[in-house]
Amino acid sequence: MKLAFLIIASLAALLASLFFGAADLSISQTLGALAGQGREIDVTIVRELRLPRALLGAVIGAGLGASGAALQGYTRNPLAAPGILGFTSCAALGAVLALYFGFSQAVPFAALLGTALGALLILKIAGPRKGASTLILAGVGVGALATALTGLIMNFAPNPWALSEIVYWLMGSLKNAELGGLLVCAPLTGLGIALLIIIGPDLRTLSLGEETAASLGVSLGKVRAGLIAGTALCVGSGVAIAGAIGFIGLFVPHIIRLIFGPDPLRLIPFSAIGGAGFLVFADVITRTLTGPGTQLYLGILTSLIGVPFFLYLAVKETRT
Amino acid sequence: MISFEKLSSGYGPCDVLQSVSAIANPGVLIALIGPNGCGKSTLLKTLCGLITASSGEIDIGGKNLSDLPLKARAKTLAYLAQSREALPSMTVEEVVQLGRAPYRGGLGKISAEGKAAISSALARTHSDVFKTRRFDSLSGGEQARVLLARALAVEAPVMLADEPIAALDPYYQLSMMQILKAEALSGNTVITALHDLSLAAQFADHIWMMHQGKIIADGKPNDVLNAENLKTVFGVKLPKGGFKALELSA
Repeated sequence: MKLAFLIIASLAALLASLFFGAADLSISQTLGALAGQGREIDVTIVRELRLPRALLGAVIGAGLGASGAALQGYTRNPLAAPGILGFTSCAALGAVLALYFGFSQAVPFAALLGTALGALLILKIAGPRKGASTLILAGVGVGALATALTGLIMNFAPNPWALSEIVYWLMGSLKNAELGGLLVCAPLTGLGIALLIIIGPDLRTLSLGEETAASLGVSLGKVRAGLIAGTALCVGSGVAIAGAIGFIGLFVPHIIRLIFGPDPLRLIPFSAIGGAGFLVFADVITRTLTGPGTQLYLGILTSLIGVPFFLYLAVKETRT
Repeated sequence: MISFEKLSSGYGPCDVLQSVSAIANPGVLIALIGPNGCGKSTLLKTLCGLITASSGEIDIGGKNLSDLPLKARAKTLAYLAQSREALPSMTVEEVVQLGRAPYRGGLGKISAEGKAAISSALARTHSDVFKTRRFDSLSGGEQARVLLARALAVEAPVMLADEPIAALDPYYQLSMMQILKAEALSGNTVITALHDLSLAAQFADHIWMMHQGKIIADGKPNDVLNAENLKTVFGVKLPKGGFKALELSA
């Protein structure tokens, strides 16, 4: 019942994303255009702009939601999020490097490369047999280094135009969504979510503590490798296409946990559905709130919606 | 049956356990006693493979422990950790179900055999009455029994328990010890670290007394718990008339 509601709400966000936009199209016009009928311009708008954008938002949101849920399950800490392991910062560093050297076309690839290198470095520092807290420390450290290097690059940006390009990119947006991006992002995120769902049962056993889980046949090394690879794929591919979109990985699993309980087995797929719906919904809002001119960036909006709601939940939870 | 020979292990460059050897037979409850830091936890963790021994052999049911794959080892040795950790909002039954993790198939379904093991573990620990309650709504004693049920649900021939009755009131201490004793009487081997010497004297069939990384006495409770050993190992005197047992009131 609750799950049905979650799925319906997310699908509704996806549909809304097709109906809202700069061009004023009625519902029947939109549906017609989706089916390939009506004015050619409408068909182009719906099929080549709105549809990829909606789907891309859903894919990225799903990846962020699932990786947040998996990280929270692994660390047994509700405050863990993809950002905490430094993946977002590493992806951003890769992308900013590409922008700095003028290879805007290579941004997605550079972001993925940044995430992969960051993930390997974190694994290397955390060592093969250490626990969750070492992994977090390594992630926080690597993330801080990536942020510092990003700052350094911005510091030496050759001109204000290059700097503003970097800054806008860091704010996160789906405005450049296109089919090509979707075709890169969707399989990578799908693989990442699959990896996270596979380790779900082991994360559940880990709720008894690392030693007990190991005594029950859970390979801590395998779980960690799956977690890092899965999160890196989800976050890296998302940041590669849409820039840094914060907070979804933290607060979507938090809400899902309140509704469905903390079992990582359920939390990972359900957070993927919720994350997809929320990101698409937030993107619809950025488009309806801003007309022509400077647009509202998605990453800013997700944080603006997410933070107060998160604080409300945190206060409410600690008082009960 | 589990046995080990010249076993050394530890956490860093220095071994905590120093060349210890012993045999634990089926149907026997062994109390592992000794002061804090003497190596009880290290021995238990080494026996169930959580720490790799730096030297020595562990033989379990005729097989070398290091030859057993992870899942097979998990089915053979149930480990009850000292820290009582579980997801607070899981139900009692969900926590106990985790004991079947080594048997889980690809889809995570629990077999009929598994379900029987879970309900038997719940019944043996008297936890079936609150199996639908949240773990964090239970008292410390109830939580300890639920986690013991989790370890029993593994249905392993060997149970290794690390101070399972620490911080429990006398009722729950006795109740936990009775459950462990019943587990041993059913034909399995139970090795449990204990600090309460009178409970060790009351329930154990056999005592391994540890001191500074070595097993310095291995035998029946009456033989091991003598005045000289107590003085050397714990710096305490044997109570006059020996250790007194507590009984549950009817």
